[in-house]
Amino acid sequence: MLKRLLPLAICLASTTVYALDQGEYRLNGFGTVGFTHLGGEDEGRSYGVSGQTTDAWRGDQLSKFGGQFSYGLTDTLGVTVQATAKPLQDEWKANIEWAYLSWQATDALMLRAGRLRTPVYMYSESIDVGFSYPWLRLPDEVYSQVQLSNYEGVDANYSLPLSFGSLSFQVAGGQAKNRDYFAYDELYDIDYDKVFGANVSLASNDFGTLRVGYVEADITTDINGSVVGVVPPGVGVSQQQSLLNLKKNKGKFTSIGYQYDDGSWLSANEWTRRSVEGDGMESIDAFYLMGGRRFGEFLAHVTYAQLDDNGGRQTSWTYGLNYNIAPTVVLKGEYKRVDTSGGYDGVFVRGAQELYQNTVSERTNGAFGVPARNYDGDIVSVGVDFVF
Amino acid sequence: MNNVFRSAAALSLLAFSGLVAAEVAVIVNPGASKAPSQSQVANIFLGKDKSMKGVDHKDWTPTKDKFYSAVTSKSESQLKSYWSGLVFTGKGQPLPSVAGDAEVVARVAAEADAIGYVDAGAVNDSVKVLFTLP
Repeated sequence: MLKRLLPLAICLASTTVYALDQGEYRLNGFGTVGFTHLGGEDEGRSYGVSGQTTDAWRGDQLSKFGGQFSYGLTDTLGVTVQATAKPLQDEWKANIEWAYLSWQATDALMLRAGRLRTPVYMYSESIDVGFSYPWLRLPDEVYSQVQLSNYEGVDANYSLPLSFGSLSFQVAGGQAKNRDYFAYDELYDIDYDKVFGANVSLASNDFGTLRVGYVEADITTDINGSVVGVVPPGVGVSQQQSLLNLKKNKGKFTSIGYQYDDGSWLSANEWTRRSVEGDGMESIDAFYLMGGRRFGEFLAHVTYAQLDDNGGRQTSWTYGLNYNIAPTVVLKGEYKRVDTSGGYDGVFVRGAQELYQNTVSERTNGAFGVPARNYDGDIVSVGVDFVF
Repeated sequence: MNNVFRSAAALSLLAFSGLVAAEVAVIVNPGASKAPSQSQVANIFLGKDKSMKGVDHKDWTPTKDKFYSAVTSKSESQLKSYWSGLVFTGKGQPLPSVAGDAEVVARVAAEADAIGYVDAGAVNDSVKVLFTLP
């Protein structure tokens, strides 16, 4: 793919993307201050990609801050660094999300090297910039699938203007070592080798933007939990249980997304499929469909999302209302109703002990342990997104 | 006195006609080698087409509002959201901008591949009108 695309990109010299002039710099910032609450029958349980949505009104699931500095070394060579502060599990962490050198080889081709954001989802590269998408909380069903947000490597971006819009390609490769993976209410170490990604986007002025992307990586992780036995003769005995052990298993992720915005109506939709070779599981499919309408400074939107994971299903409806306080500040409010079926936890957080008990129950036909059950929740979120 | 009165009346008439007309003219250098269509102009001002140098207005004026809503169907907040998507993904920077119609005309007059938009009343002989937005 890379070998085929690069020469194509180089010979099709044409347009796009503004690089900074030599000595020019830009400082931009963004942030979200948001609070979220989980209510309903599962009060007391955690929900979310890193489990911070609970029955207390908490700001550490949605809030985040970032700053980006870009500097033109020459008219075509530039450096960009983006730092963020955001909570992971129960702690605020500072991260360098972007740190790269970019070279505007032609008007149309840009090459970058350094730490880059992984182009996994439709909104991956601006995932921390809430201002760039309509929700306060990106649809968790899709956006909980891959937790890798950046990698070290290179990418090539090629963009071709068309009479009705533009066509862009991105090819990326590299690795990401010693990253955090949130599972079963704990953080585990995970390595991604041979990260490779490619995507194509067709943007039209009148008919929206279609994006198709693929990312793969060799994943190594050992997720195990300390559990207390429930099967004789080990009842009450503490033991380590392996929950997932991957040694360079290939993980594959496909995303097909479509966005439309004519100024009054808008829509955002994405379908994803995730699979890991040799994990003994079927692929995990998820999608969301969102439609919205602007009324002056207001935006009302509704989203249906679904996550299908080996016989378990999570579905949700989200209703949101946004208000533009200023051109770069938006107030957002959302209500999300989540339900699971098939004895599935979905994006609700299940601890290692619960998982063990559920698994024991399944394997002993209910003689021991606790059967897996379904969850539901009412999630309310309010917050402000801004950029400067 | 009479004079003052007359010029005041003329001024108010001018202001009035300005309000009624307020056409926006998309302008290029008289020596421009290309005449981009409206969709190409949209691409240029959205940073997708770099074959010409777009000169933007610094402040959100009625002229700017009219231009962006007519050519790109974007409001001020949508445009800001669009650019934040490009800036924070490292894929683009907003166009260079200057303050006021006169500055835009001067920039376009000075560079062969520059393109801008101004209130039709601000157009003079140093630039060529590509098309006007009613």
